[in-house]
Amino acid sequence: MAMITNRRREVAVAMTLIAPFVLTFVLVFLYPTIRMIELSFTDAPLIGTGEWVGLANFKRLLTDNLFYTSLKNNGYFVLLTVVPTTALALAIAMMITRLKGPLQALILALFFLPYILPVSVVTQIWTWMLDFQFGVLQPVFAFFTGKPVPVFKNPYWVMPTVATVTIWWTNGFNVLLFIAGLRNISSDYYEAAALDGATRWQLFTKVTWPLLWPVTALVLTLQLILQLKIFDQIYLLSSGGPFNSSYVLLLMVYREAFQLNHGGYASAIALVLFVLIVVVSVLQFQLLRAGGNKQ
Amino acid sequence: MMGVHLRNIRKVFGPVGVIHDVSMDIPAGEFAVFVGPSGCGKSTLLRMIAGLEDTSGGTISIEGTDVTWQEPAKRGVAMVFQSYALYPHLSVFENMAFSMRLKRAPKQDVHDKVMEAARILQLEEQLEKKPSQLSGGQRQRVAIGRAIVRQPKVFLFDEPLSNLDAELRVQMRLELARLHKQIGATMIYVTHDQVEAMTLADRIFVLKQGVVQQAGKPLDLYDDPDNRCVAGFIGSPAMNFLPATVLGREGDCLRVAIEGTEASLMARVSGDLPAGSRMTLGLRPEHLTTADAGVPVTVEMAEDLGGVSYLHTHMPDGREIVVEWRGSRHAGGGEAIKLTCAPEKVLVFDEQDQRIR
Repeated sequence: MAMITNRRREVAVAMTLIAPFVLTFVLVFLYPTIRMIELSFTDAPLIGTGEWVGLANFKRLLTDNLFYTSLKNNGYFVLLTVVPTTALALAIAMMITRLKGPLQALILALFFLPYILPVSVVTQIWTWMLDFQFGVLQPVFAFFTGKPVPVFKNPYWVMPTVATVTIWWTNGFNVLLFIAGLRNISSDYYEAAALDGATRWQLFTKVTWPLLWPVTALVLTLQLILQLKIFDQIYLLSSGGPFNSSYVLLLMVYREAFQLNHGGYASAIALVLFVLIVVVSVLQFQLLRAGGNKQ
Repeated sequence: MMGVHLRNIRKVFGPVGVIHDVSMDIPAGEFAVFVGPSGCGKSTLLRMIAGLEDTSGGTISIEGTDVTWQEPAKRGVAMVFQSYALYPHLSVFENMAFSMRLKRAPKQDVHDKVMEAARILQLEEQLEKKPSQLSGGQRQRVAIGRAIVRQPKVFLFDEPLSNLDAELRVQMRLELARLHKQIGATMIYVTHDQVEAMTLADRIFVLKQGVVQQAGKPLDLYDDPDNRCVAGFIGSPAMNFLPATVLGREGDCLRVAIEGTEASLMARVSGDLPAGSRMTLGLRPEHLTTADAGVPVTVEMAEDLGGVSYLHTHMPDGREIVVEWRGSRHAGGGEAIKLTCAPEKVLVFDEQDQRIR
């Protein structure tokens, strides 16, 4: 009997302890999410109620050219950022771990500094640097292409430029993750491999890369989720232009919801993006894990 | 000049010297053990032989070749690490084949060598497993197997058994001794455990603060230590040390008064110490016997191990003396006994802790 009361008391204590989190989670995440899903099946404006329209919003989405453009741009942006930023972060992390003492801290700080800037400051800096007439980087463009390039007004340049800015901004965090991963690899492995006659390249491919794989998989997955949610940089740098060539899904959600007051349709797009992120990231993480095990 | 030879080896880390002018000769095929308290530089010395640490001065030669400045891989040494350093993502087979894979050796060669090593170490059943699926002893064997596959001139072991539990350590110790007999390669082994040193070594090097205190066969070190450091380190339980004063010479013995008591002991030494000079007596627990006259002690506690008992006793001034006791078992404690020792078994150390013979 005493056991049962004890058990009940334990459960009660546990419930009390997790209650604040569960309540907050339900209030600010679960409930709004369910309401948003509900909303996506109506023609409601952003505020107020609407009529139930079934799958009409999703059908409309399938015929919306801007949706396909945005989807394609999202994919393009992921291609431009996820793998390059991961590779770059790994390279920088490996160089930084070779440094010692205060110099290492200084260089790491330099790479991490952009990450602590607010996005509006980042875009301000790059808008200034890339300004068509006065930008300090325009001579570089002029050197390679023969003339200055209005990067945010050119459909070919706009996405790679936004991708570059994004990588510059967020790379520090990935570097930090990789440095933590590299520090976790015991020096015994490298010494054993050195005694076995491994070259520098073999040390990387046979020791560092496989032992760092869990961190790499984590970075790739985090980056995939983050970059699929791209919004602020594009909104601030190019507003989706020129000719919708940098339009992405979240920008579409923003326009439908807050500019055109189409709450139902915006929710439908958001839901599609949400499902897309969940499916792609779970799939990727499983794939990466399997790849890691096989090695 | 086969084997491993060190000449005037020094190692400094910044302003701190950790190895001071070490010279040693390890003949080919011998099992050498570096032993000493932690921080004595034994691991550093091993890593210098492996080439994992730079040498600040002196020369290292292996099989007649000066390797002081050669890369680790070219020295023909294989090392077994304390952590085993097994690659968690590779199977046992691939772990053992690692060095050959790096050299892109022919598949058949790799297979033959790994299977041979696996046979020696009885690892044939485990080849497909990952290191995480193995027990501590098996991991240890894989680490040794990786060294065997390389067929090195010298095997280096850096405290390889310290991560194993006591029972397994005894077993692995025997296996290592057997392995050494079987393959007959030169082996250098670092440990802080003097029992491992005594049981494995052909030759022990006792190090303290970066200096070789004494080198020799295990029992020579045990019976005839050069100084108090070696005497105290080799042997378990450790030697008892008693401060004493010389009373005078009686024939081929010195009569010495034990400090803190009225008692005196005879010590057979030929080296002369003037009457009144202070020194330290070294008495092994198994050489102490009870007598009518001798050092008075009170038994505090007896550790009965069956065949042998260790009496933990203390002198009137509180200093502890351990006595080994065979035969009759001792009960309780608290009884007062008097201890003495045969004059030829008493070791004498001067005030600089050097042995007087």
